[in-house]
Amino acid sequence: MFLKMEHIYKNYGDILANKDVDLDLKKGEILALVGENGAGKSTLMKVLYGLEEATSGKIFLNGEEVYINGPSSAIKLGIGMVQQHFMLFNSFTVTENIVYGREPKGKLFFDMAKARQDVIDLGKKYDLPLDPDAVIEGMPVGLRQRVEILKVLYQNTDIIIFDEPTAVLTPQEVTELLKTMKNLSKMGKSIILITHKLNEVMEVADRTLVMRSGEKVGELMIKDTNIKELSYLMVGRHIVDKQVEKVETGETVFESIDLTLTDNKVSVLDNVNIHVKRGEIVGIAGVSGNGQTELVETIFGLKNCTSGKVIVNGEDVTNTSVMNVRNKGVALVPEDRNVHGSAALGTLTENSIMGFYHKDEFSKNGIIDYKVASQFTDELIEEFKVVAKNNKQTMSSLSGGNSQKLIIAREISQHSSFLIVSEPTRGVDIGAMEFIHNKLFEKRANKDGILLISSELTEILKLSDRVYVMYEGEVKGEFTRETANEEEIGFLMLGGNKDEV
Amino acid sequence: MALDIEFIAHILNSTFRLMTPILLVALGSAVCNRVFIFNIGLEGMMLTGAFFAIVANYYTGSVLISLLAAMGSAMFVSWIAGIFMVKFKGAMLVVGISVNVLMLGATTFLMQLFFGVKGAFVHKDLVSLPKVNVEFLKGTKFFYTLFGSLTYLDYFAVILAIILYFYMFKTVSGFRLRSIGINKEAANSIGVDGDKIQIGAIVFSGLLSGLGGALLSMGAVTMFVQNITSGRGFMAMAAGSLGSAHPIGVVFASTFFGLAQTLSNVLDNQFLSSELMIATPYVATIVALAIFNYSKIKKGGKITNI
Repeated sequence: MFLKMEHIYKNYGDILANKDVDLDLKKGEILALVGENGAGKSTLMKVLYGLEEATSGKIFLNGEEVYINGPSSAIKLGIGMVQQHFMLFNSFTVTENIVYGREPKGKLFFDMAKARQDVIDLGKKYDLPLDPDAVIEGMPVGLRQRVEILKVLYQNTDIIIFDEPTAVLTPQEVTELLKTMKNLSKMGKSIILITHKLNEVMEVADRTLVMRSGEKVGELMIKDTNIKELSYLMVGRHIVDKQVEKVETGETVFESIDLTLTDNKVSVLDNVNIHVKRGEIVGIAGVSGNGQTELVETIFGLKNCTSGKVIVNGEDVTNTSVMNVRNKGVALVPEDRNVHGSAALGTLTENSIMGFYHKDEFSKNGIIDYKVASQFTDELIEEFKVVAKNNKQTMSSLSGGNSQKLIIAREISQHSSFLIVSEPTRGVDIGAMEFIHNKLFEKRANKDGILLISSELTEILKLSDRVYVMYEGEVKGEFTRETANEEEIGFLMLGGNKDEV
Repeated sequence: MALDIEFIAHILNSTFRLMTPILLVALGSAVCNRVFIFNIGLEGMMLTGAFFAIVANYYTGSVLISLLAAMGSAMFVSWIAGIFMVKFKGAMLVVGISVNVLMLGATTFLMQLFFGVKGAFVHKDLVSLPKVNVEFLKGTKFFYTLFGSLTYLDYFAVILAIILYFYMFKTVSGFRLRSIGINKEAANSIGVDGDKIQIGAIVFSGLLSGLGGALLSMGAVTMFVQNITSGRGFMAMAAGSLGSAHPIGVVFASTFFGLAQTLSNVLDNQFLSSELMIATPYVATIVALAIFNYSKIKKGGKITNI
């Protein structure tokens, strides 16, 4: 046995994040570590990579006990980690990023020529070509991840931990990455893959270890298991794949006509014509950074468009204020729940009425009726199954999934006729994801219109009645639930044209 | 006003002499900017150096010990400030302003304690920084004026800027220093200790502030005056920013402020109300920063630090 972790315990205060977890890894093996958010898989890997210290437990490498007290000691032992949030220096070049921490050096100066050559050689060796002089800024996500992988390989690591590596990738990039992983394992590297995407696990892993609430609940060979069994182990109950029922669509609640936004002469939105009808979920597929964020901001009045029109419920709201747009019946679940969706230090009550505090039910003459607000919050907490102690705790004390549920609850509770949801389930576990999806379906059944922006193609395909594909600010194609398919959309997302399909 | 060639030499000479104290501190500020530290306490650190240079000077009469005292005292203050900013995650603005206010009060108080005077302290036994001998230039008046009464430290400031340029952009250590300002978390994830580098940068800026302070109290004049720095630390911050935290850029920015101060002095002697002229360097600072940032915004760049 190559790597062995024994009886790992880790607690944060009185919360037990890892409870007596054992893990072993063979040479050249791909081990998938699966579990919902908060199941303790990331904690376990942070212990292995030295980012966290275990409360108790032992780690053995090649039969010898090792002590890991920081990333540098993990790296010295040959353990590397490809982080979920890329740890790159955006204004540095590919070469500078890869050799970081073990830079080749002449007598006095940084030997850039050698560094550059090393990077080229490394890329050749592992069949991961990259332009050594390119600057990270402006590189697509897939290539950035490649830099991360080469960075880890440059450190001569034998064990590579991938933390949710596919969360940000397009389907094509995912295929590529899975191929890379298989290739690396063939070359003798051992891989630990943290994920909650079970189809990827089935495709690439040799063995899987399932965690729930900090404990190991199963260890299975991939060839002996299936997605159903794994998801049951992960969640602790069966997830039913609901048949989407048809809803009759009504009048148009939202329409954009030739919506164009130019920022510093760069075209961010280019004649976007989309519409959403009542009783319809319309998805916008696209690699993040292709104008989706700006589209939402222009619709919602956060940014002024250069030309074009935004029509909500038949009224022109182009370039008016957020308040006006909201009053016309638009609600928004923003992309970043921590920055735009909530106030981290505000209480749950404050967060639950945010944006609607001026409504008569919550305030009179500028004074907020906290009794009503508090009651209202309790109702939201109950209806949306938010796990919270009480409504006076701060938003930051909730887990990601729970704070997202509360934000969605807030935006749905006002019964706006048009709801924009941006990345509604980013970083949210399967259980909460299912819940949020069902709530969106409920809203659709209520004959409201929903615009869904998501970089998760599976989510788009599951929820949307119609799909627009965005690439560099342009709508590249439109699909219905019946005609939508992963390959074609993925192709358009990467800049392909419809007639080339 | 005689605009003859000697007058120009005089202006250039004065610009250079007034530029170097700012340059030393501005280089410190630039290093701090590179590691994402907004060190507003440079003014106080500079004042510390200026004061303790004179204290050591008075008791030992040694230039070397005076300089060491200036560097040591300012480094100590900056180290404490660094611990508060980096380890305890104190708001940089608050820590920096505290340093400035505290050191202004402390030097004024200690001046009374050590020397029993208020306002200013001069003594015949105080030695000044040795000047570079330019007797051999006596033949040509222009060069004689141009290079006259400059200390070794003045030249050192410019040399240091060049050394820092190579350090920052050519060495591994400088590479890591710059990386901290770009993404400290990424550096930590590879096992490069970001905290250590940040505190190191702050202490280094303390060292340079101490030297800059000593240049003020032992350079052109040899005395300590209450609040002798009178905003030069802030000007240095502006110069660091204006020079895009690039050592060579900082030289040019500092020269600009040196010139502004020179003009303020010259014009003060010639015409216009002196109060107005004293304000010249400060107005120049604001105008320069505003123009600089405006052009940056126009180009679509992001404003960093200030």
